[in-house]
Amino acid sequence: MGGGGRAVVIEDVVKTFLVRGSPLTVLDHVSLACPPGSFIALIGPSGCGKSTLLRIALGLEHVDAGRVLIGDEAPDAVRRRGEIGIAFQDPALLPWRSVTANIALPLDVLGRRGTARDRIPGLIRLVGLAGFEEALPGELSGGMRQRVAIARSLVTDPDILLMDEPFGALDLILRRQMNVELQRIWLERRPTTILVTHGIDEAVFLADRVVVLGGRPGRIVGIVDVPFPHPRPTTMFRDPAFHALTDTVSALLAGEE
Amino acid sequence: MKLSLSRRAFLGTAAAGLAAGAMPGYFRNALAATPFNFQASWINDAEFTGYFVAIDEGLYTAGGLDLNYMSGGPDVIPESTLISGTADLTLTTPDTTVKAIVDQGAPFKIIGTQYQKNPIGIVSLAKAPINSPADLVGKTLAVPPVNVISVEAMLKLNNIDKSAVNIVPYAYDPTPLIKGEIDASLDFTTNVPFTIEQAGEKATSFLLYDFGFTIYNDTVVVTEETLKSKRAELVAWLKASRKGWETNLADPAVWPPKFADTWFKGTGRTIENEVFFNTAQKPLIESPNGIFSMDEEGIAKNIEALDQIGIKATREMFDTTLLEEI
Amino acid sequence: MGTGRRATALTLIGIVALWEIAGDLDLVASGALPSPSEILVAFWRDKADYWPHILATVRTAAIGFVIGNAVAILAAILFVRVPASERLARGINIAIFALPPIAIVPVLVIALPGEGARLALAALAVYFPTMTAMTVGLREIDPRVVDVVRAYGGGDGAVMRWVRLRSSLPALLGGLRVAAPNAVLGAILAEFGSGSRYGLGAYLLGSLGRADPARLWGIGLAATAIAGLGYALAALAAKRVTDASRAVTIASGAMPPAKGRGQQRIAIAVASFLLPFVVWWLLLWLGGLSPIIAKTPLGVFEYLFLPPTGASARERLLAALVETLPITVLGMAAGLAVAFLLAVLGAVRPGIVRALLPIALVTQTMPLVALTPLLVLIFGRGIAVTVAITVSVTFFPAYVTLAQGLAMVPRAAFDLVGAYGARGWTAMRLVALPASLPWLFAAARLAVPRALLGVMIAEWLATGRGLGNLLNQSRGYLDYGMIWSVALVSVLVSVALYQAAVMLERVATRR
Repeated sequence: MGGGGRAVVIEDVVKTFLVRGSPLTVLDHVSLACPPGSFIALIGPSGCGKSTLLRIALGLEHVDAGRVLIGDEAPDAVRRRGEIGIAFQDPALLPWRSVTANIALPLDVLGRRGTARDRIPGLIRLVGLAGFEEALPGELSGGMRQRVAIARSLVTDPDILLMDEPFGALDLILRRQMNVELQRIWLERRPTTILVTHGIDEAVFLADRVVVLGGRPGRIVGIVDVPFPHPRPTTMFRDPAFHALTDTVSALLAGEE
Repeated sequence: MKLSLSRRAFLGTAAAGLAAGAMPGYFRNALAATPFNFQASWINDAEFTGYFVAIDEGLYTAGGLDLNYMSGGPDVIPESTLISGTADLTLTTPDTTVKAIVDQGAPFKIIGTQYQKNPIGIVSLAKAPINSPADLVGKTLAVPPVNVISVEAMLKLNNIDKSAVNIVPYAYDPTPLIKGEIDASLDFTTNVPFTIEQAGEKATSFLLYDFGFTIYNDTVVVTEETLKSKRAELVAWLKASRKGWETNLADPAVWPPKFADTWFKGTGRTIENEVFFNTAQKPLIESPNGIFSMDEEGIAKNIEALDQIGIKATREMFDTTLLEEI
Repeated sequence: MGTGRRATALTLIGIVALWEIAGDLDLVASGALPSPSEILVAFWRDKADYWPHILATVRTAAIGFVIGNAVAILAAILFVRVPASERLARGINIAIFALPPIAIVPVLVIALPGEGARLALAALAVYFPTMTAMTVGLREIDPRVVDVVRAYGGGDGAVMRWVRLRSSLPALLGGLRVAAPNAVLGAILAEFGSGSRYGLGAYLLGSLGRADPARLWGIGLAATAIAGLGYALAALAAKRVTDASRAVTIASGAMPPAKGRGQQRIAIAVASFLLPFVVWWLLLWLGGLSPIIAKTPLGVFEYLFLPPTGASARERLLAALVETLPITVLGMAAGLAVAFLLAVLGAVRPGIVRALLPIALVTQTMPLVALTPLLVLIFGRGIAVTVAITVSVTFFPAYVTLAQGLAMVPRAAFDLVGAYGARGWTAMRLVALPASLPWLFAAARLAVPRALLGVMIAEWLATGRGLGNLLNQSRGYLDYGMIWSVALVSVLVSVALYQAAVMLERVATRR
């Protein structure tokens, strides 16, 4: 397991919602292959269905056509074993649980007892919250709460890590810090990661591959591979090669607008 | 009915079985004294002093009864407790009991009466006295809804048009009478005059009984089934209760104070009030044939009075044979 | 804020002073209103009598509170886990809410002799507020947290266990705050009627014939104090638990949108209507009561529609209903109007209304039978006294709902009209009144069953007309068919008016 995740394959997925009684296609024949241990960023305009795609990968939404495979299994089965870690745009912490207890929530739901909890102190240190173990979410800043959510997404030692704009609510400085931390975490454990984001530089900084979605209905308009080796230093944000890639992604995004 | 009775019998058997298993001493006690449930018709006041005396003096125990005394209240319909099986014996007003026998086919028998004369009467202030039914014309009279028919019968017997009297509900509290909001109220004449005098007014009253509505009150009622199955216990109850009442009425001022910390504790009423009540009820309870007795003349008067309000009582509803066995 | 508090204190002192003067000089109802000092003196005189009664009432209320809440909490969990069950139980829930206690106490006393009837009434009194609050609390959860639980394979059970139960706690405690005084009132009402030896209700009954208003007020205020204590304890618990503090609206017992196809929905609606009758039947069957006293739905039908009783019974019932219904509507309208005025006054002059609230609370916990002489002396025995009693039992829950509605009008809306110079009453007319309209219907929904109860109490105690009087007379004549018929009709009327209010509310909130 420690050797890094499993492949996530999204094949020809179609998803429609009923909006005021009439069907609206959100994802139109989307296919995406994420090799084991890879880091994929999904980027696109609001309402392009990227969050929906993530929920489909997680098995929380049904598809109208196509399928999703994790390894060679349906996501439901993988999810029930706790092998997928998830972090949403909102930290979604339980206000009555301490930092430690919030991180332990997935273990409670999965019914894992005993040694499973031993890694929590390490995770708290990893996200830089040492000393706040017993704090309640109401006593934390927005960034700290988000880091709790990230620690929570890692508590099951997942093979797959799905993150839906986890830093969307943070200011730019904090966001950069969190980007670096996320990279460090990913490098340490190498889960197959899909990150949904609005931030072009964040996507390019973190991912092996940036997948650009176009809106209404959502479909893939371009894929940009990022060749820089890991770990990537923050100085890269000032690198011309980095900027060339972000410009490519921008162009893909703009071309669709 | 058959279904429910048989199931009740089943539940009863099951309960008895459980009791026998759980409490080995139960049946030994049962042999010593038969459990006997007595539902009174109101909260503890002087109306029931005779029974309290009989209980405290051990008269029921001596008669082989393990008496369970249950206080009454406005929502406790005494006859209902007989039908539901909660009580073996209760005290009622004959009009409701007879009506239940006639209208509902309820299997009741009247086996005695506490009051030879119903203590219910018209109470008014002495400064604006209402001494006879004729005085009620044009006046406002508060009557408990239950008793409206009785009052209407009394008016009819005295040739007074009922629409000439303004009848309003009476809600237990004599304040409106004392304050003059109403001119008279229907209540126990043995009781409420005391309160009125405490409030600094003088009361005057007359009994419905004395103006033609000649019924008993606190009639002793049982079901026909109990009459068959517990006849000995009923006779024992009548005997002990008669003794209790005789002891009590020998001097009405003696017993109520003894119950200040037991039967009359915390009722919100005063011992002076109970003594007044106890004294006032003495002539209404005592009878030359012995307390609880029902002579033919009295029964005939009841039947006649009830007929006035459209309730068809018959002689068979009154069973005087138990009294003869005392 | 400081001036507001001063206004509160001044108003409160003013009211008590006026009360004292009016009581001492016998200004109100020829002295039937005792002054506060007279009440205190009477309380001190009777203090030895009070304790056993207070203990009995607290005991009954506490046990009933535990039973009723346990049932309410389990029911709420079931309703949220299986939404169809809520729609199915809807008829029962509304019937329990709408049951007029004066109609069911005699029946309870028959069915559950002894302490059972008292505990049952206290339990019934707490079921609805707790169940409603708990259902809302369990349902209104953070959907993102639910996603987290589901992402780890958690099903509905896990969502209930890890998210819903704990997040419903503030709402539950809000419900308990209403339930606690309800339990006390239910206990007292049952003690009054059921032949109980101890309890404030029994003490009240014994004291009624004494023409001692100071004693009656003392008992009423003792009841208020116990109910208030219950409220305060629940409020204290709520404060400790509510770190995830959230406004709790008892009023919003809104149903989730009904799912399923038309036929299925109709089937559930029909079943929900029939279920109370089935439960009624079952309870009688299990109780093993004689059909003479315990009428089944069929028994009531026979009584009302088959000879020999049918025609006359229907006629009497209809005549009573015709007397009771219009005045119920009138009383409810008056109660809502008073509540509305108080709520508006509260928004404009909060200090004064805060001072009026303790007095409003007293009117809620004071047993009405203790106030009857005072009320008939002031209002007579006509429509006025019925309306007065109905207003006194309806306005408070309606006021609470409306005040909540007015409080939710966004500050910004006031600031906007304020910027154009509108102040106080004008701002109220332009902004608050239109915004609070939907809440008026929610308030009406809560007020409906209480209005009917108020009218029936007035009829029973003061006017001698209508359903309340018919019920009481029927009790006297052991006319069990009529007792059950009146109980059934009063519940049906309550439910019908309640549903009418729900429908109006839907129309009003749809805009």
